Amino acid sequence: MSEMKKREETKEVAASNIALIKGREQKERRRTLIALSFIAPNFIGFAVFTLIPVIFAFVLAFTKWDGSNPIQFAGIANFTKLFSDQFFLAALKNTIIYCIGTVPLTLIASLALAILLNQQIRGRGIFRTIAFFPYVASLVAVTAVWKMLFSQSGPVNAILYYIFHVENKDLPQWFVGNLVMVSYILFSVWKFMGYYMVIYLAGLQGISKELYEAASLDGANTWQKFASITWPQLKPTTFFVSVMLTINCFKVFDVATLLAGGDNNTLTVSSTVLVHYIYQKGFIEWDLGYASAVAMVLFLLVLAVTLIQFRGEKNYANS
Amino acid sequence: MKKRKLISAVMACSMVLALAGCGGNGSTPTTQTTTTAETTQTETTTPATTEGQTTTQAEASGDTITLKWAIWDQDATPYWMALKDAYEAKNDNVTIELIDLGSTDYMTVLATQLSGSTSAFDVVTVKDVPGYATLVQKNTIEPLDDYISAANIDLSLYGGATDQITVDGKLYQLPFRNDFWVLFYNKDLFDKAGIDYPTNDMTFEEYDALARQVSSSDFGSSVYGAHYHTWRSAVQLFGVLDGEHSILSGTYDFFKPYYELVLNQETDNICRSFTNLKTEGLHYSAAFSGGDVAMMNMGSWFISTMIANLQSGDYDSSLCGNWAIAKYPHAEGVEAGSTLGTITGIAVTTGASDKDAAWDFVEFVSGTEGAKVMAETGNFPAIMTSEAMDIISSLEGFPQDEQSKAALEVSNLYLEVPYAENVSEINSILDSYHSSIMSGEMTIDEGIAAMNDAIGKILNP
Amino acid sequence: MKSARQKAMVGKVIVYLILFLLAAFMIVPFLWMLSSSIKSDREVFQMNPFVWIPKNPRWNNYVEIWKRMDFTRYIGNTAFLTVVVTFLQLLTSSFAAYSFAKLHFKHKDKLFLAYIATIAVPWQVYMVPQFIMMSNVFHLNGKLTAMICLQAFSAFGVFMMRQFYMGIPDELCEAARIDGMSEYMIYLKIMLPLSKPSLATLTIFTFVATWNDYLGPLIYLTPNKANWTIQLGIKNSFIGQYSSQYGLLMAASVVSLIPVLIVFLILQKNFVEGVASTGIKG
Repeated sequence: MSEMKKREETKEVAASNIALIKGREQKERRRTLIALSFIAPNFIGFAVFTLIPVIFAFVLAFTKWDGSNPIQFAGIANFTKLFSDQFFLAALKNTIIYCIGTVPLTLIASLALAILLNQQIRGRGIFRTIAFFPYVASLVAVTAVWKMLFSQSGPVNAILYYIFHVENKDLPQWFVGNLVMVSYILFSVWKFMGYYMVIYLAGLQGISKELYEAASLDGANTWQKFASITWPQLKPTTFFVSVMLTINCFKVFDVATLLAGGDNNTLTVSSTVLVHYIYQKGFIEWDLGYASAVAMVLFLLVLAVTLIQFRGEKNYANS
Repeated sequence: MKKRKLISAVMACSMVLALAGCGGNGSTPTTQTTTTAETTQTETTTPATTEGQTTTQAEASGDTITLKWAIWDQDATPYWMALKDAYEAKNDNVTIELIDLGSTDYMTVLATQLSGSTSAFDVVTVKDVPGYATLVQKNTIEPLDDYISAANIDLSLYGGATDQITVDGKLYQLPFRNDFWVLFYNKDLFDKAGIDYPTNDMTFEEYDALARQVSSSDFGSSVYGAHYHTWRSAVQLFGVLDGEHSILSGTYDFFKPYYELVLNQETDNICRSFTNLKTEGLHYSAAFSGGDVAMMNMGSWFISTMIANLQSGDYDSSLCGNWAIAKYPHAEGVEAGSTLGTITGIAVTTGASDKDAAWDFVEFVSGTEGAKVMAETGNFPAIMTSEAMDIISSLEGFPQDEQSKAALEVSNLYLEVPYAENVSEINSILDSYHSSIMSGEMTIDEGIAAMNDAIGKILNP
Repeated sequence: MKSARQKAMVGKVIVYLILFLLAAFMIVPFLWMLSSSIKSDREVFQMNPFVWIPKNPRWNNYVEIWKRMDFTRYIGNTAFLTVVVTFLQLLTSSFAAYSFAKLHFKHKDKLFLAYIATIAVPWQVYMVPQFIMMSNVFHLNGKLTAMICLQAFSAFGVFMMRQFYMGIPDELCEAARIDGMSEYMIYLKIMLPLSKPSLATLTIFTFVATWNDYLGPLIYLTPNKANWTIQLGIKNSFIGQYSSQYGLLMAASVVSLIPVLIVFLILQKNFVEGVASTGIKG
């Protein structure tokens, strides 16, 4: 008797457990559906117009195709060719150097600018707009100005000459040889810091004032407030900024052609960058398979860096 | 077999992309687009030109035909409309629709449009030879040989230019505009220095000596004896004028004397430095019209720019109003009058809705009638008849001296870029190392060695 | 007491000094544009000596640009594109971002990574397949709709909005859920009002990107002159094969920059402390 009861009881428990699980499953499914319904409008457009062509481009890396004739499978031929291609190797090296220089500098500059322009100052809106100028002004104007500043007889060299007494013949040529990368980096920091400043400005508004007030009561100084409140609170923003910066730096194109390209967009082994090479291979020579292979390398590089940054963010979220 | 499977997988992918394929193309051959699942190229492309083309339907009977013609800079370039008007006046059942793709990225935009559909245009203008190579290899333009032989066109009128753009024995475009390089000079500066003008028969040594003589570094009135624009053509291609060397040869040691000539001039302040030109973005027209450049090698297109800008007052005639042209300098022992040419061609697309009508227009534009229209608008037609030459040299504003007129006679024309399978790639490698040498990133020998190496790999893989 | 005030004063002065120096450095390109827009083509690139105000300022350049191209039409096209794209972008991005930041479902991280990953692929690589698809499957070549489809669903917006939502404490959503609010209401009533600064940022970025875009219109709109955008019109009208008219180009660029600056000036007001922080406890 008691055994039967027990059995029935366990049965009941099991049934209710199943019902519970089922209910949970149902709830889970409902939640998933709701979550997906949020994503759907964007995702459908994104998948059709971006994701499919991107996947297609990946397949292209293993083919030979000129955009018109039938696609020919090429195996890994494009990739083996890469590593004996002087221009590719030069572009890869230059791009990496450019990123290493530009990403941290721009990050720091834009954060500093954002904090500065987040203070109560008169004409703040105007200053913010001015900081955004280099990003929105016509590219022709921006490069013309930059080239003027750094030209052989421009103000920068004049400072070197008059103040630092650099000899006339030793004055640097900013757009040639090794220095060209320095020009790219300085130019990019100047041009893009206003852009990332805007992101940081928005991020700063999410930090509660009470935190600072509490810290002030504890007698924290400005630096301590920054280190213990601003910086940790800005982590998601910094993650976003650093990922976007990395990606955009790896995709550098305009900066190079405008500063060093001249009127037929010619870059040398010391000034070429990956996307310029992709453009060259893809749209001048119409070797889309090879262009895709170069892009794959670029993509894997970015992915590796992004994954590291992603992990950094996860660690932050868990802690 | 595995390979096959993979190919078909890739094909399937491309099918998805091009689902509707050439929807709307109707009767045109669709073999050139991605929808074709064929893996070989050869069998797909013999177009229908041979069958029945020569005797086809008598030129449109009453119905109107519209031909879409890809061009650039419509507002700034008078000859597009002039050609259209002249042709429509003769053929009242045909309408030419000009589609302006802009000049900056013309070939890229054109090739992309044709990748989407070869029927996007009926007739296309081909801006340069690398672009021509692209269009031919992408099977987007028709071979014209059958039309040419049917119409009895004498290709020798084109002064050898057509031989340099023949692809495996076939010709896919006809040139209608041909610019060649001459030496522009500023008479005032020679007068001031009390030196004779450049002549139509100068060796490079004489040219170099003259440049050095006329230049002066007096403060406030410095004169550059020569000016070289940043293009590689302005320096490298002195080397191909002897007719023995070609940029397709794979070895480039013959560039060396000319790099030395120009770089030495640069060191001695005879010409502006390449690096500064590139940094400051100084346009050659600004350099020459600034009145401190005595001689400049440049294409004949600059003649009409000079005339127009002096007339409109944009160029200061007290600085550059007294200008003239002379033949290109030449190497010792080579006939004077050898020079570089750049052709602009016109072609029929493989997807053209009415190829015969399209060809008829191409024939008109590239033929003697088109040549006349071109000359009347101040441009150099590909068929340089004495009539065309007279029209140009009697344009108002053209230098009045006999020598300038004689400078228009070309004895040998070498295309800046002749056709080769990998011409785009070769072209960009030469461009790049030209920059390296001129900016001092590499020595002349290093740069030439790098060219030999990189291009050797392409030509003999 | 006095010294503390003096210190504060000195600090203020230093801040302003830095600001003015930076501003001077940043405003040069705009001044250059203004200066070039009243110059002749020859004067624009004249370096030695460089003059800010030419002897004969050509104010006429600003009249000429309306005659030399169908500027009104190009502005109209660009404005239409920009408004539609920005609106769609804001709507779909913030919607999707809410899910990525605050909801849970399987493979969320992977899907998100796929989003970011596509940003890392240069457009130059998938442009041709995309173009073939757009013109042969959707028949959108030459149409403004093509530009809308390509730009309205960017991964960038989703990524950015997600990052901002991540900064909003989960407790806020949990509390609302316990009160029986549906996810849609939470998004509408809690997240959207809190994300004003980030919505402003996304608006600015999308606006600028669409307004100034050149490559997209170049590929898709070039053959159809009626649908040209400002950038396309400027480039095709004033940059020629043999000579370019930089004076006119700059005049047109100055005009086209004005809406961007106005939009920025208005929206940056949202970057004000206190708007977002009300009710949030760190």
